[in-house]
Amino acid sequence: MTWSDEELVTRSIGGDADSFNQLVLRWERPIYALAYRVIGREEDARDVCQETFLRAFRALNGFRGQAKFSSWLYRIALNLCRDWVRRERRTPIVQASEDIDLMEVAAVREPSASIEDLVARKELTRIVERAMARLPEEQRTAIILKEYHELTFQEIADLVGCPLSTVKTRLYQGLAVLRRELAKSES
Amino acid sequence: MSETCTYSGRDDLLVAYLYDDIESDDRVTFNAHLARCGQCSRELDELRGVRTTLSVWTPPEPALSHKPRGTSDEARATSLEPRATGRSWHDVPAWAQVAAAVLVLGVSAAIANVEVRRDNSGWTVRTGWSKPSSILSTAPVLSEASPAAKSAAADAGAPAPWRADLAKLEQQLRSEFHATAPRAVTVAASVSDAELQRRVRTILEESERRQERELALRVAEVMKDVNAQRQADLVKIDRSLGFIQSSTYGEQMKQREVVNYLLKVSQKQ
Repeated sequence: MTWSDEELVTRSIGGDADSFNQLVLRWERPIYALAYRVIGREEDARDVCQETFLRAFRALNGFRGQAKFSSWLYRIALNLCRDWVRRERRTPIVQASEDIDLMEVAAVREPSASIEDLVARKELTRIVERAMARLPEEQRTAIILKEYHELTFQEIADLVGCPLSTVKTRLYQGLAVLRRELAKSES
Repeated sequence: MSETCTYSGRDDLLVAYLYDDIESDDRVTFNAHLARCGQCSRELDELRGVRTTLSVWTPPEPALSHKPRGTSDEARATSLEPRATGRSWHDVPAWAQVAAAVLVLGVSAAIANVEVRRDNSGWTVRTGWSKPSSILSTAPVLSEASPAAKSAAADAGAPAPWRADLAKLEQQLRSEFHATAPRAVTVAASVSDAELQRRVRTILEESERRQERELALRVAEVMKDVNAQRQADLVKIDRSLGFIQSSTYGEQMKQREVVNYLLKVSQKQ
């Protein structure tokens, strides 16, 4: 039987550790992906991901269910990403472009993909990463949450704590910058 | 082409329409606007293209340590413990793990001075650094207690009652060991050898495949780099040639002027 997030939370609060483990398994990849795209370092993204679940577990009794569990997790993860940026005094730029392991790329991709496809895809990934790195943090976060996590505008607004129209404006401006940067790269 | 759309709240609506996160009334109205406004429909297409490009950006496969385990306590421990720093075993390739295991096994065997021998009585496995006495090792028949006792006594040079007891005990242990251990050890050794061979073969094949794939990728990358460099060099050469041509042409013109001037002067004289 598949439990909803909220049901699993209730069971976890009741002392069922397996339920929390199911939540971890369900959400670890999205949280890792969010952390990776925001801070851009694989190891640190993994640490942020684990810390997110650790904090969530500790604060589980305080979760009242006003928001979705996933939104709650995203908020914890985003706060940790911000802390990471502040602590490391780095701009959250994705820097995996120069030393991507081709073997990993090849291993991850489906075997049917040709070498040319893989190389082209890798090149395109680099271009996207560079373009994303040029965006201000708020615009990048808005785009990541909308584009890759399919949150609604309202959910993003609640998460980052700004009006709905601001989210749309950030998205529009971010996409406009990306469009220019990508066009430049193509030319 | 220089048209500027002044539709109220255009940017927000464009984004909302793009992500299909828009009120139905607004969608209908904006749809009608898009049919009329070339700028907006063009920009919408471009933003869709941006979204398509963004979709290629996937994070590297995470080596997350959260895996379901048997008991709930284990699951809790696995899920919630912060990861240790450095690379986890998940990051180490399988062949390296097997190689490390074989190395550890070899070193352990060397330290333990493992001696494996096969004779008429079957397989013998002995560990430790204490050597058997020379008489014992040359005497193949172990079923009799007296030779061992005799040899022990001979070693000492004088009979001692504890030596005989010790020899008896050794004899007893040997017979028990031969009665139980050899078969198990033989079977385990043969099974593990076959399994090890199979695993090593699989690992080697995997490694070869990965190396081939890596080589192909590297070659493709190098070819791409070479092509890019070639293009850049061609552009540079083209520019240099153009510069040389223009400077040569300039020199030629100057010389022609000088020749014309000289001709004119000479004609006047």
